[in-house]
Amino acid sequence: MTTNATSALPTYMTAKGFCLTSGFWMMVATFMGLLGATELIAPDLTENIGWLVFGRVRPIHVNLVLFGFVTPGLLSSAFYYVPRLLRTELYSEKLGVITVLAWNFALVTVVVSLAMGYSQGREYAEMIWPIDMLIVLAFTLVFINLIMTVAQRKEPILYVSVWYVCAGIVLTAVTFSLGNVIWKPNSGSLVGIPDAILLWFYGHNVFGLLLTPLSAGVAYYVIPRACRAPLYSHTLSLFGFWSLLVVYTHIGTHHLLQVPVPTWLKVISIVDSVAMVIPVMAFLINIWYTAKGKLGEIHADIGAKFVFTGTIMYFFVSIQGSMMALPDVQRVTHFNNWVVAHAHVGVLGFAGMISLGGLYYILPRITGKPLYSRFLADFQYWLILIGVIGFTVVLTIVGLIQGNAWLNGETVYRILPEMHVYYVTRASIGLIIFSSAILGLYNILRSIFFNPGEIS
Amino acid sequence: MKMTPKAVVIGSLLILATIVFVVVFLPYATRIQLPSDIFRDRTAHEADGRAIYIANGCVYCHSQSIRSIDWGLGAERIAQAGDYIQDKPILLGSERTGPDLSQEGGEHPDDWHTAHFINPRYTRPLSIMPAFAFLGMDDIKTLTTYAQGLGLKHADKRIQRQRFWKEKAVRAYESGPEGNVKWLHENVPEGWRNLPNPYPTTEAGLARGHKIYQDFCLGCHSPIGDGMGPAQPHLNPPPLNFTILKDRGVSGGILYYQIMNGITGTAMPYFKRELESEKIWDVGNYVAVYFINQTDADTEPKGIDAAYEP
Repeated sequence: MTTNATSALPTYMTAKGFCLTSGFWMMVATFMGLLGATELIAPDLTENIGWLVFGRVRPIHVNLVLFGFVTPGLLSSAFYYVPRLLRTELYSEKLGVITVLAWNFALVTVVVSLAMGYSQGREYAEMIWPIDMLIVLAFTLVFINLIMTVAQRKEPILYVSVWYVCAGIVLTAVTFSLGNVIWKPNSGSLVGIPDAILLWFYGHNVFGLLLTPLSAGVAYYVIPRACRAPLYSHTLSLFGFWSLLVVYTHIGTHHLLQVPVPTWLKVISIVDSVAMVIPVMAFLINIWYTAKGKLGEIHADIGAKFVFTGTIMYFFVSIQGSMMALPDVQRVTHFNNWVVAHAHVGVLGFAGMISLGGLYYILPRITGKPLYSRFLADFQYWLILIGVIGFTVVLTIVGLIQGNAWLNGETVYRILPEMHVYYVTRASIGLIIFSSAILGLYNILRSIFFNPGEIS
Repeated sequence: MKMTPKAVVIGSLLILATIVFVVVFLPYATRIQLPSDIFRDRTAHEADGRAIYIANGCVYCHSQSIRSIDWGLGAERIAQAGDYIQDKPILLGSERTGPDLSQEGGEHPDDWHTAHFINPRYTRPLSIMPAFAFLGMDDIKTLTTYAQGLGLKHADKRIQRQRFWKEKAVRAYESGPEGNVKWLHENVPEGWRNLPNPYPTTEAGLARGHKIYQDFCLGCHSPIGDGMGPAQPHLNPPPLNFTILKDRGVSGGILYYQIMNGITGTAMPYFKRELESEKIWDVGNYVAVYFINQTDADTEPKGIDAAYEP
């Protein structure tokens, strides 16, 4: 397996642990999404079940998708490719397994505390202080393991995926701590408008400094490997990496364009939102030119197929995001389901697809056996692709209805009946995504534990 | 450029530190701490209600951020930084599935909120908000206190107005149907009182009225107009039983005015923002025809005939 011949074959326990974590929590997270979507069409379905009230289900869904499904999925590949790229073994599988356990424990506390109504009321930063500390600890453990692996490397050159995952983890540990205001354990917040500015600085960095770098890391690993081609340009990867860090971190205030925050800050956020085209295209051109003429190889590998589709979603979600920061566009899109559509393209279509792609790419390599079922993975691919496109179309339509109706002077209440049919469609698409998560978990479990496949 | 571990980790952290200084610290250091003209401190009871609001994720559907572009939407006031200086955390929200609540205080009397929290469809039949009866009456009262304080000094003025009129409305209700109807009619400006519904009763008009009644009215006034809708047990004065209006001098104009303007102090809200003129005439006539069994539609004086009349 590895070129490192000094010890027995690596067990990849950490990578396997994060695969299982991602598969399991994807199922829970998508169920919570489905439940929330159903409550929006049948609000009395869960009447008087306090811990299932929509306002508690929604943050559970969002946080589990971010920290339960996508991030662990991306980490599972990282725990495979970082040692491989550095021609060494993971610094400590034991520490890795402890990290996986701590991570899952943190996720359980997230679900229980939010269901019980322990919330700090700030999006992506709802968790109370002890859980914040647990999450920071988990990120720190990941970072220690990775950076120590880097320290013991036998390959002098750091490949771009390693930059992304190291920077992503350390920056997220810092912005998570800042964003959750961990020096104020009781409220976990600042006061007034600065709290909104900090919250959206952090909120946007969950995508900019966690999901995007980790996804880019996986794409930079999987696509050249699957294509058996060298990376198109080292310069572009350098440029993409540093410009991402500089530009993405400036744009959080585009969530607050109609709020009394300083105008200069709004200008920065709008200008940099548009400038996001630079890091995005630097990354995409690099990946797409690497894959040029090799789409057959990508199509042949289910992991690479997921990842490549994720990069296409990244193109759309980023261009859309740049547009949405323009005040004239935001007059219509702000505060409504257009943004929810955007979030689903980004987190499920881009980061989620790449997370699953990395996971399916490494599964045969960490188990030493072929994937339990290529068909199931392919089936899941199509369910998710159809689901993401469906979400986008349906929620964008609802968003346009809402935004334009408000601009036309109609009250929120009057628009509810117009949204209903789209909400029904959205919930049925949620059922598709939830089903795909069950298939995915089954496939992962069978691939790791009960895999009848020949040892390759 | 050679990417060493130090370059990656320390370089990234330096970039982040610089940007945090610019986009987080500078706005913090230059923040506005002056209270706005409507600012007042929140009471302890209101703060308790706010905690319930946060625990139940109300913020995911209700913004507290009247935007600079909301003037055209009927907003009475655009949010200012000085409104939020005690908000910890700030609850601007990111979606507006339900109405913005920045100026919610005093829009309705407390008993409307009680019925609405127990099940929002009791007062708003099309609402998709969850029912909050599971909180128990104490927490519902506390949450109501918070909602009634939203808007701060402006909310206080509206609450005073609600209390002033509630006392009169309750006294009128307790004086019996005769006195109640008399009080209700007295408080409609005279021009409206003498105004019959200028439009004819048509099948299409009644169908429109029926739809509007179902979407807006039946939670309180009930499907048969007797005022015994599911919200009724929670409201004081209770919703009007329309049948008592017969032969007591009701007019199309009175119905129109009261639907448009609401009856402050009671749970009857104003509908002028939600219903266009035709819909108000139609739902008024629906009530007159089906529940009061007495309509003045299409009687004189009605001025120039409407162009669409068949």
